[in-house]
Amino acid sequence: MKIPKLLQAVLVLIGVYLGFILVFDVLLDAVIPSSVLAMYMFFVAAGVFMVFTFEEDGTRELVAPIKALVEEPSRRLIRNIVFVVVPVLAGAGTYFQMVPSLDAPVELRSIHPAPPTAIKVYGKRVNLLKLENPYRKFEKEDPEKFKELVAGGAKVYIQNCQYCHGDKLDGKGPYAAGLNPTPLNFQDVGTIAQLQESYLFWRIATGGPGLPKEAAPWISSMPVWQNFLSEEEIWQVILFLYDYTGRRPRSWEHDG
Amino acid sequence: MTGTIRKTALLVPVIAGILIGGPVWAQSEGPIRGEAVYQKRCLMCHGEEGDGLGPAAERLNPPPRDFTLGQFKIKTTAFKDPITNDADLIRMIGDGMPGTAMPGWSDILSEQEISDVIHYIKTFAELEEEKPSDQIDYGTQVKSSPESIATGKKIFHDGDRCSECHGAEGLGDAVKKLKNDNGERTWPRNLTKPWTYRASNDAKDIFARVTAGIPTTQMPSFTNPKSKKKLSIEDRWHVANYAASLADAGKKVRAENTVIKAVRVEGDVPTSPDDPAWQQSTSSTFFLVPQIIAKPRFFKSANDSVSVRALYNDKRLSVLIEWDDRTKSIPGDEVAIKIADKGMSPDAIAVQFPVEIPAGMEKPYFLMGSDAKPVNLWRWSSGTTEKPESVALIDAAGITNQQPRDAATSGLSAKGAYKDGTWRVAMTRLLTTSETAKDIQFAPGRFIPIAFFNWDGSNSEQGTKHTLTTWYWLLLQPEAGSKPLMAAIIVALLIGGALVWWGRSASAANKETDL
Ligand code: HEC
Ligand code: HEC
Repeated sequence: MKIPKLLQAVLVLIGVYLGFILVFDVLLDAVIPSSVLAMYMFFVAAGVFMVFTFEEDGTRELVAPIKALVEEPSRRLIRNIVFVVVPVLAGAGTYFQMVPSLDAPVELRSIHPAPPTAIKVYGKRVNLLKLENPYRKFEKEDPEKFKELVAGGAKVYIQNCQYCHGDKLDGKGPYAAGLNPTPLNFQDVGTIAQLQESYLFWRIATGGPGLPKEAAPWISSMPVWQNFLSEEEIWQVILFLYDYTGRRPRSWEHDG
Repeated sequence: MTGTIRKTALLVPVIAGILIGGPVWAQSEGPIRGEAVYQKRCLMCHGEEGDGLGPAAERLNPPPRDFTLGQFKIKTTAFKDPITNDADLIRMIGDGMPGTAMPGWSDILSEQEISDVIHYIKTFAELEEEKPSDQIDYGTQVKSSPESIATGKKIFHDGDRCSECHGAEGLGDAVKKLKNDNGERTWPRNLTKPWTYRASNDAKDIFARVTAGIPTTQMPSFTNPKSKKKLSIEDRWHVANYAASLADAGKKVRAENTVIKAVRVEGDVPTSPDDPAWQQSTSSTFFLVPQIIAKPRFFKSANDSVSVRALYNDKRLSVLIEWDDRTKSIPGDEVAIKIADKGMSPDAIAVQFPVEIPAGMEKPYFLMGSDAKPVNLWRWSSGTTEKPESVALIDAAGITNQQPRDAATSGLSAKGAYKDGTWRVAMTRLLTTSETAKDIQFAPGRFIPIAFFNWDGSNSEQGTKHTLTTWYWLLLQPEAGSKPLMAAIIVALLIGGALVWWGRSASAANKETDL
């Protein structure tokens, strides 16, 4: 049996809509704001319309059921029903569009903004492209010493970071729920495993106030750790983050 | 008290083990594997020696458990049996202890690992061979009912049995200073916030706490034969049903609720916290977190949330801020001094607004703004016995740059009241002021960033030592008026008319061809 063109178009639209809901709300657990969804659906509808009306036959086939509804005398009853329902729906749509919204404005967050090439920390200029963790080499050269450095990092972490990022490094520390944006989850593959140690050094040393202009919405509560920790302590806590989660930092060699 | 007895009792199985040769050694593998788990996951807080003195101990409230005491808070073994069940430990380690830094580990540790680590932590108090004996006798559970709750309430207050520590309304507003077995300050639970219970507020759980007490703390067992306040099984069910009924879901933070909706009222806006008019708006609750960004930092907070409502008319905005605070801190007041930590300050709350409502997404820095984007603070203080309550209007451009200014010229006033463990402070200001460059100007329909700061004076909070919320929103709910309805009717008529016209002309055309 052949599905009428109009029904096909409607089915495609419903399918895409449910797809959005499934991917964002159910799988990603990130409820998609209705204004953003409306925008996406507008583009999808425009696209579907273009595909279906690409040929003249297609256009005729698409509008045939509508034409028939209006013009066939035998469809009188359905016609009257449609003529009442459509204006009522349009009126209701207008009403809900115009009633002022009580939903909070949407704040999209940019994760991992691009780093500058050089930063000013601890009163000096540092080139981020050349910056490396001075302790990383001990992992191979002197494992005993490396273990001690990681333990030092653990101490820094538990005294300073776990309140927000959690002692399981899952971003669910006791204060996490009171912050917006919420603290990063280091267990997640999308955070420290994607980044170089120099990037972490930059984000830790300069904190929320050190974010670049494009890093909306500019309200990260991450403290400026150069005010509290020494450079050595920051490099140690970075060792700890990778050691505890079992992740590896990205490096130039791997990228190249 | 039972320490020596326990240690000698311990020797028996050890000697027996040596004589039989085997079981003791076979069992000791658990602790060895448990040690590895402990060193990676637990040592940071509970300490190398299990004494709770890990590097973070100083900054945690409550502090990590000292395992060398061999006592655990949550137990379902009878009062006279000092040993906790493995099942209780598995539960606390797996699910965590809400309201503390102790997280639940069941998502990253296997059942075997949890059982191994329990074996290991028992070795700190040489408990690994001890078997708990008597389980609590639950009798027959009395189902919760209005009658049972009423009976429970009587028991709760009878001779100040529970209210002595938990307060008249169960908010934990202590009348005396409490300490744990290590001499550290502790606070009675706020029974209206069950999400802060270490176990849960299920009646069966509360029954177990009342029966066995909470070891290491002053929460007593009400089965202690020596106690004058001892309770029968049935009475313990009644008081448990009553305690469970105190839960107040309205104080729970709901993450999706980020907007305080100010409702428009006819006539005057309330200026007193006790005005029934506040009921016209619903309250929004936000977490308070300690200030750990600016020096000196602050870690051991006492208050955990604020609830806010707002009303407005064409002249004024009024905001009601409510928060549970176990202590009314009035320096100079004798009752307050008795339960406060040394160096008490007044309690205080501040509301923060940007001076200019941001047009885009960029708000001022949430910790009291910056030079480029300053904020207004309305800071109410409970006052002292010498100086009455007061409200200050502060222009802030960063936490170290705060300039007080005359509150009266902007029409800002505030009034607070403390009762049974809750502060309620009403603040009101003119919607628009003459200081347009310095004061925020309110307008209905705009999303206005709003944040809060709280100082619990009895918990040594003053200066940068305080709690705060991140930015949320205040919306003066605009009145929609009749416009949307009019527009809806016009659209419906237009479309309806067009359809009818189309239908008519189509059938007319049909008739023509029919002829
Ligand atoms: C971030 C710090 C932290 C870490 C890491 C931590 N704990 Fe705790 N733990 C605490 C605190 C704080 C308490 C005390 C809570 C209280 O007294 O209400 C506690 C209490 C306990 C208790 C006492 C339960 C009771 O009923 O009294 C046990 C058992 C325990 N922890 C086991 C562990 C184990 C096992 C690990 C490692 C897998 C661990 N903890 C890791 C902070 C921590
Ligand atoms: C002498 C003071 C005192 C008295 C009397 C007292 N409590 Fe408590 N109660 C406490 C303290 C302190 C805590 C918190 C212990 C801690 O630090 O975890 C507590 C905690 C609790 C909890 C929380 C359990 C959990 O899972 O977190 C409940 C429920 C409770 N008490 C009920 C009662 C009831 C019911 C009574 C009267 C029958 C009572 N208490 C009498 C001091 C007291």
